[in-house]
Amino acid sequence: MRRTLLVVAAALMSAVSLPRAQAEAKRAASPNNASYRLTASLDPGSHTITGSGRLTWRNISRNPTSELRFHLYWNAWRDPGSSWLREQRLGRNAALANRPADDRGSIDVTTIQIGGVNLAERSRFIAPDDGNDQDKTVLSVPLDHPVAPDQTIEIDLAWTSRVPRTYARTGRIGDYYFVGQWFPKIGVLEDSGWNCHQFHAATEFFSDFGTYDVTLNVPAGWVVGATGRAIEETADRSGRRVRFLQSDVHDFAWTTSPSFLRREERFAEPGLPPVNMILLLQPEHADQADRHFAATRAALKYYGTWFGFYGYDQITVVDPVTIVDAAAQGESTGGMEYPTLFTAGTRWRVAAAGTQPESVTVHEAGHQFWYGMVATNEFEHAWMDEGFNTYSTARTMDAAFPGKFVAVDRFFGGLLPWAFTDVRWSREIDGNRLNAYRPVAGNDRQSTPTWQYWPGSASAITYNKTALWLATLERMVGWPMMQQILSTHFARGAFRHPSPEEFFALANEISGRDLTWFFDAVHRSAATFDYGVTDVLSTPRGGTIDHQVIVRRFGDGVFPVATRVTFADGSGADLTWDGRDPWHSFTLSKSSAIARVQVDPDRVLLLDVNYTNNSWSAAPMRTQAARKWALRWLTWLQELLLTHACFA
Amino acid sequence: MPASPELPVSVRARTPVFGAFLEGWRRVLKAPVLAVSMLAATFLLALPLGLVMERSIDAHLGRSLEADAAARGWNAGWAAEFGSQARGFERTFTYDILGFGGTLAIVSDLIDNIALDPALSIAAAASIALWVALSGGLLDRFARGRPVRTAQFFSACGVYAVRFARLALVVGAAYYALFRWLHPFLFERVYRHVIRDMTSEREAAMLRIGLYIVFLLALALVGVLADVARVRAVVEDRRSMLGALGASWRFIRRRPFRIAGLLLLNGLAWLVILRLWLAVAPGATASAGWAFAITELYLFVRVCAKLAFMASEVVFFQGDLAHAQYTAAPEIIWPDAPAAEAIRNLSRRARRES
Repeated sequence: MRRTLLVVAAALMSAVSLPRAQAEAKRAASPNNASYRLTASLDPGSHTITGSGRLTWRNISRNPTSELRFHLYWNAWRDPGSSWLREQRLGRNAALANRPADDRGSIDVTTIQIGGVNLAERSRFIAPDDGNDQDKTVLSVPLDHPVAPDQTIEIDLAWTSRVPRTYARTGRIGDYYFVGQWFPKIGVLEDSGWNCHQFHAATEFFSDFGTYDVTLNVPAGWVVGATGRAIEETADRSGRRVRFLQSDVHDFAWTTSPSFLRREERFAEPGLPPVNMILLLQPEHADQADRHFAATRAALKYYGTWFGFYGYDQITVVDPVTIVDAAAQGESTGGMEYPTLFTAGTRWRVAAAGTQPESVTVHEAGHQFWYGMVATNEFEHAWMDEGFNTYSTARTMDAAFPGKFVAVDRFFGGLLPWAFTDVRWSREIDGNRLNAYRPVAGNDRQSTPTWQYWPGSASAITYNKTALWLATLERMVGWPMMQQILSTHFARGAFRHPSPEEFFALANEISGRDLTWFFDAVHRSAATFDYGVTDVLSTPRGGTIDHQVIVRRFGDGVFPVATRVTFADGSGADLTWDGRDPWHSFTLSKSSAIARVQVDPDRVLLLDVNYTNNSWSAAPMRTQAARKWALRWLTWLQELLLTHACFA
Repeated sequence: MPASPELPVSVRARTPVFGAFLEGWRRVLKAPVLAVSMLAATFLLALPLGLVMERSIDAHLGRSLEADAAARGWNAGWAAEFGSQARGFERTFTYDILGFGGTLAIVSDLIDNIALDPALSIAAAASIALWVALSGGLLDRFARGRPVRTAQFFSACGVYAVRFARLALVVGAAYYALFRWLHPFLFERVYRHVIRDMTSEREAAMLRIGLYIVFLLALALVGVLADVARVRAVVEDRRSMLGALGASWRFIRRRPFRIAGLLLLNGLAWLVILRLWLAVAPGATASAGWAFAITELYLFVRVCAKLAFMASEVVFFQGDLAHAQYTAAPEIIWPDAPAAEAIRNLSRRARRES
């Protein structure tokens, strides 16, 4: 009934205003069908976590199931044959894949008990994605009795985990622990069966909503942060015990360290619900607390205003240990999202005009919306959270910190940040990450399940391409319409697992246009977009000049583009082309000469990988530009030669 | 040879470090043609690649309107597109070449042992070879402390070019060893071992700075050994470069603090120049002419500083060992060793003072 009401309400969203969409999102509640009550103890000496507890699981599919499937993510680092490590090697990340045995992690489940029967012994590892018999990241547990639709069962769990040196943004470095994906986590049972993928190098996670009631035992004096609110706390000389509680979330992560500085501020913005912000900061980043809070505020404000309210009353920002050499220390735990908690990431020395730590903080706080509440399947459609969030991050950065940022490079092993004040940060290129997308534009169809992407370019196809086509869509339909599409998607998808097809249908519905061709081009194909001006021919005839403007489609991606012709007398003509043919010729007669021609003059198609060829000028400044920059480069080379002459 | 008997003890020249530093600069500033010529040589070495770069940029821009923005300032969108299509050394055309950041990028890559693009490596090797070939003439000029004719300069270059090439083989092997083995040892083994469980970036930074100092000291030791060997080869007309290296080592070993002081003074001069460059380095919107002029001026000062370093080493050596009281005064017949001329100069001065 609740779902029906949600669907009906969501359907109405397309025609209603944003405040109502936000109100609906606020009212929405998850199915709450996978709830955990867990207790875990960390032993820093042996780097182990011992855990136990009870999972209360309800079958919300339409079919009974005679097995349960659990993710055991940390087994991805148990031995070199796991699919995760194999894929890292495929992505040429050998340093990560070949770390010493002491760095690895694992999880051993000792108890899976239902109705007093321990099913652990009859459980077995399966590899539903690639058949890799060395992969132990999915555990299948056959049941004595099938679980019927809407039936609830209780499963007692006990396990021991070895905390790895950081992989995939979880693990330990020194006495800093960030613990994510750490317990046996049940997969998602859909009408079509279990959606419980192996852990892959290019993908993250997917799970059902529930209530997490977790008690953590850590050494005395250590600071703890976790998903949800701390509702109980005891401490003595033997250790510290903190109980966290949160409902309507689909994961639980925590962190502990004796070094954290704890800061707390309140987010209060007219029209938005207040949120308690907790910041766990590395001591050497104490002077950056304000920047972390400002960025978190920006995300809560703009995402909340544009898409829908943040659905919880607390958010915890974790400033992770800075990794200065991944080969030595392990992967960074920074830049990772979990419900109501995320890791940001900064450096000891940062440039005031650089995007660090704001960019990563806005992005991960933004994941509370695109991932945390709109809980799409990151194994199969990672673009739905990462891409949407990259687009939203860029938009937020632009709105919250206009003109603040420039390009920053780090020198001397990353010690010294240097701001290039002439190179301004732009939402279009930097925010949407066009430059990293360009070289891999044709690598994979985005509609391919994410875990099957080529590991070397999965990130660009997931994050960058989506951000670029969403920004393109925004320029096509206008921001008000785009906002309505996204806020409705948020309203309908909050506390659910919306599919790509739902979003595409919704975009058609809200915009009142059939955008299928667009989604075919940008999502269902690996097409590369590149339009340009090939030639401008002018033939005087009497008092007029016959102009022929030839534009071309250099890539295989098709997109209707405008062409703007500007004449020497200042007049102009806007021409349209459906962009389908390999080339198109416009013929114009005018008494004036053509001064310039621009294909896609407003740069609607942000996926165009070569915008330089989009324009033609009768009086190009190529010579001035080439001379200026060649001379500048030449003097730089002179300095390089002079510097190396110190060896003479 | 016995010491010159006619000189009183009071004129025994033991040049103060600061005096040698100042005298080095004085001798360089008295010979501006040398600095200008070395700068011009560097320009000519860079020119072929610069012309290729100009052609590539021109071709990529074509008739695009992006050129307008690129002519005004840094057109980040176009530059990234150019970079994505660039080949070889053209890939170094990034915003890292801009202003003082460009200087930092060069020094950082060098000290972090980041390989140069092959074309740039060849240019750098040519630059080193040029300096090696001309060092004899430069040191000869500074040792004499007076103008020499062009033929005289190149004659001295010719005399020492082969000797210095032999020396360069030995010194080059030492530098190779430092970059091939010491650098990885310091920054991969030691650094990585120590920071493995370090949770403070600040502590890691301090360690890295310490390792940079160790590495720079090793580079400086090799550099000063080679420099003094060259100075002794020229001032004392040495033919054996191994012998010159041995003599260099003995010279440095007997006065390590004063040599270190000379290095430090020259290092400080370099830092002062960098600080000034930081203040005036042109931004992306500077006109091509102004940016070129100010950068060439900076490079000219850099060349002067390099020459002044050489000259100060010559003065320092002359003051300590190659002075009239220490060395016999031979008959001066050109092209004779500058030591002879220096001794004559000192003899004259001593006579005047006595």
